Amino acid sequence: MRWPAAWKGVPGAELLDGTAIEAIDPTAPGPDVTIAKGVWPGVRMSRRGADADAGPTGVAWVDSNTWLARLTAVRHPGTVWIDAPPDANRAPRPHQYLVTMADAAAGGARWLISLDDALAAGVARREPRALAAWKQIGAASRFFAEHPNWATWAPEAVVGVISDFAGGNEFMGQELLNLLDRAGQHFRILLKNRLTAGSLTGLRALLYADQEPPPADLRKQVLAFVESGGVLITVPAWGETPGKPAGAAAVPGYSGRVLGKGRVIVANAAPDDPYVLANDSVVLVSHRYDLVRCWNSGAVSSYFTIAPDRARAAVQLLFYADRGPDAASVRVVGRWRKAAISTIEDPAPRPVKLEPQKDAVEVYLPQVSQYVALQLEG
Amino acid sequence: MSCPYSRRQWLTRTAAAVSGAYLTRGFPGLAAEAPASTVAVARCRTYSNNELLPVMEKLFDQLGGLGRLVKGKTVAVKINLTGAPTYRVGYLPLEDTHYTHPQVIAAAAHLMGKAGARRIRILESPWSTADPVEEYILRANWEPRDILGAAPNVEFENTNFLGSGKRYSRMKVPHGGYVWPAFDLNHSYEDCDVFVSIAKMKEHATAGITLSMKNCFGITPCTVYGTGAGEDEPTLIPKGGRGLIHSGYRGPSKSAPQELDPKSPREDTWRVPRTVADLISARPIHLAIIDGIKTMTGGEGPWIREVTTGVAPGVLVAGTNPVNTDAVGMAVMGFDPMAVRGTPPFERCDSTLQLAEAVGVGTRDLKRIEVAGTPIAEARFDFAAMRRKRRSAPPPAMGIRG
Repeated sequence: MRWPAAWKGVPGAELLDGTAIEAIDPTAPGPDVTIAKGVWPGVRMSRRGADADAGPTGVAWVDSNTWLARLTAVRHPGTVWIDAPPDANRAPRPHQYLVTMADAAAGGARWLISLDDALAAGVARREPRALAAWKQIGAASRFFAEHPNWATWAPEAVVGVISDFAGGNEFMGQELLNLLDRAGQHFRILLKNRLTAGSLTGLRALLYADQEPPPADLRKQVLAFVESGGVLITVPAWGETPGKPAGAAAVPGYSGRVLGKGRVIVANAAPDDPYVLANDSVVLVSHRYDLVRCWNSGAVSSYFTIAPDRARAAVQLLFYADRGPDAASVRVVGRWRKAAISTIEDPAPRPVKLEPQKDAVEVYLPQVSQYVALQLEG
Repeated sequence: MSCPYSRRQWLTRTAAAVSGAYLTRGFPGLAAEAPASTVAVARCRTYSNNELLPVMEKLFDQLGGLGRLVKGKTVAVKINLTGAPTYRVGYLPLEDTHYTHPQVIAAAAHLMGKAGARRIRILESPWSTADPVEEYILRANWEPRDILGAAPNVEFENTNFLGSGKRYSRMKVPHGGYVWPAFDLNHSYEDCDVFVSIAKMKEHATAGITLSMKNCFGITPCTVYGTGAGEDEPTLIPKGGRGLIHSGYRGPSKSAPQELDPKSPREDTWRVPRTVADLISARPIHLAIIDGIKTMTGGEGPWIREVTTGVAPGVLVAGTNPVNTDAVGMAVMGFDPMAVRGTPPFERCDSTLQLAEAVGVGTRDLKRIEVAGTPIAEARFDFAAMRRKRRSAPPPAMGIRG
C-alpha cells in the first residue's frame, strides 16, 4: 500500500495485523514487480454527479483496470500492481475500495492501496466508521490472497486479440481489451511477436486491428487457424486475403470471405472507434458462443478461469453499481455439477442452486454485494 | 422512495396536464360501423409442443383456417421482445413474463408453413441495437434455430433501422391520423402480403394494456423515431428508446412525416394510444395472436415501478381483427373493453381500443364479437382484481434490479 501521510507515527503492525497488505516503495518496487498506472474503477459519473455517463448505446460507462492488469502480466510476467488512487476531490465510499481491489484482483493484480485523505485521517484518529472501512479493506486483501488460483488458472476465451498494443496501436489495441470486457466477451491477449504453436488453441476467433499488416509468419499462423475452422476479424491494413467471397456479414460495414473451414471478416474501412469494433466483433463471432451470460446484473464484468484439470472453475463477477444486484443469475458454459459462491463479506463457500442447461448451467445468485466468486465443480 | 402525492392526487394532476380541449374533443364516429369478426380463445397450460401445436391449430381453424390467409404469401410476424434481453422479472426467463414465447412463435411459423406460407419473416425492433434478431435472442438464452427451423423459409429481420431495405417505406394512415399522417418504417412492413402481431398478454404502464395493437408500437424504427434519431436524416444505427413519441419533446428525423399538430398534448398517456391507433391503421394487422400462457402482472416489463409478478393464465387468444381480439383479450384479463380514460386499466391514459374503434378498425363491443372455443368466463384470469389489490396496498420499497 501507499502509506498515507496522516499515518506518520502510526504503528504499521497494528493496522496491518491480520491483513495481507504489504507496504512497498512504489519508486523501487523490486525486480519482479510491475506497477501499472490505472484509473479509479466504477461507473463513471457525469459532471453533475447525479447520473452515470453512458456509452453510445446508453449502457453505463464503466472504468476498469482488469484488462490492464492482464495486459501488464502478459508483457511483464511477475507481480502486477495497479496504481489507481481515488480522485482527490471525491472521497470514495467504502464499497468503492472493495470494487477497486476486486477489479485488479480479478485480472491477477493487486491494487496499490491508496486511501483518500479523510479515510486515512479517520483511521489514524481511530474513528469507528473509518476503522470499519479499513477493516473491510483488510478483509478484502486477505480474501484475494487466500484465492490466488482464481487468477492464475487459465482464462477461458472465445477470441484472441493480437497486437503489440504499443505505438500507433496502443489506443485501439488497449481500448479493444477494455471494451471487450464491457461487452461481456472473454478474450486472450496475444502479443504478436510472441505467438507460439499453442497460443491459438481453444479459440474460436481472432481479432487483428493493428495499423500495419502482420509479419509473414504471423499471417501464416493466423490463416492456418482460419482454414481449420476459425474466424479472423480484421481491418483493411491486414492486406490481401485469400479465399472466396462470402455473403454479407451479420453486421453492416464488413465483408466476409470463406477460407477452408473458416471465415475472414474484414471491416470495409479502417475503424476509428474501438467501441464499435469491440461490439461488432462480439456479434460477428456470435453470442451463441458466449461463455458467461448475466441477467439483472447491471454493469458487470466476468472473469472465467479453469483449473488445469478442467474439473474446477471460477467465475469472478464484479457489479459496478453502488449496490449489488438482486435476483441476478448467471449462465456459465460447461457441464458443471456443483456451484458455490464466496464473497468478501462471507468468504466461506456457500452452495447455490444450479440449473443444468444444454452444455451450460445457470446459477441463481442470492443478494450479493459488488463482488462474488462463483466456484464450479465438474 | 417517497412520493409527495397520493395516488388520487397524482391521477388528478396527470389528467389535468392533458389539455381539456384535447380531452373533450370527440372521437371520429365510425364505432358503430367498425367491423366485428370471430375471436378464438383456448386454454393452454404449457408451452410443450404436444399441447401447444394442436391448441393453436384448432384456434386458427376456428378463425376459418390459416390457409386462406397465408397460402402462397409472404407473412410478416411482429413479435414482442420489449426491453433488454438481460433484464428479467426475478429469476424468471424473459419468455415466461414479458417476451412472446419462442414456442408460440415457432408453433405459429410451423402452422403457417404447413398452411402453405411462401415466406415467414419474424420481425422485431430490439432495444437500441442494429444487431440481428438472432443475436439478440441468444442473449435472452433462446435458440434461434428453434424458430428458423419451424418451417421452410423462416427468417428474422431487425426493423429498428433500415435493415436490408434500400429505403424506408412510407406508410400512410388512411383515416388521416390522430397524431401522425404517415410513418417511415423498415421495408418489411410494406414488403409482405400478410401482417401478424404475436403479443404477450400484459398490463402497460403508459397504455393500460399491451396486446396485439400496442405490440405494434415497436414497428417504428428508432433511427427515425428514437431518442438518438438524426435531426435531418435517420441515423444508421438506432440509439435509445422511443422517447420522442412518448413525450414529443422533439420531432422524428425531418426526412419522415412530422406530427399533424405540434401543439397537441405532450403527455405519453395521450400520445402513445393515438400513435398505436395510427400505426395499426397504416400497417393493418391481418392476424392477432395473444400469448397469455405465462406472463406477468403489474406492467410490461421488469423495469416497471410497481409490483411485477410472473403468472400463468394458461390462455391463448387469436383473431383476424386486432380491436376485436384485444377486446376479448381485455375481457379475459378481467377488464371491461368498453373502459375509457379514468377507469381501469386506463386510469390515466386513453384506450387504444376506443381510438382504433372510433376510426373504424374494429369494434370493442363484446356483444358484437363472436367468441369461439373457450368462453371468456372460463378462460378469465383476473388481472383486474390483482391490480385493484396491488394498488390498494402501500407501494413497495424499490430495490435495484441490476
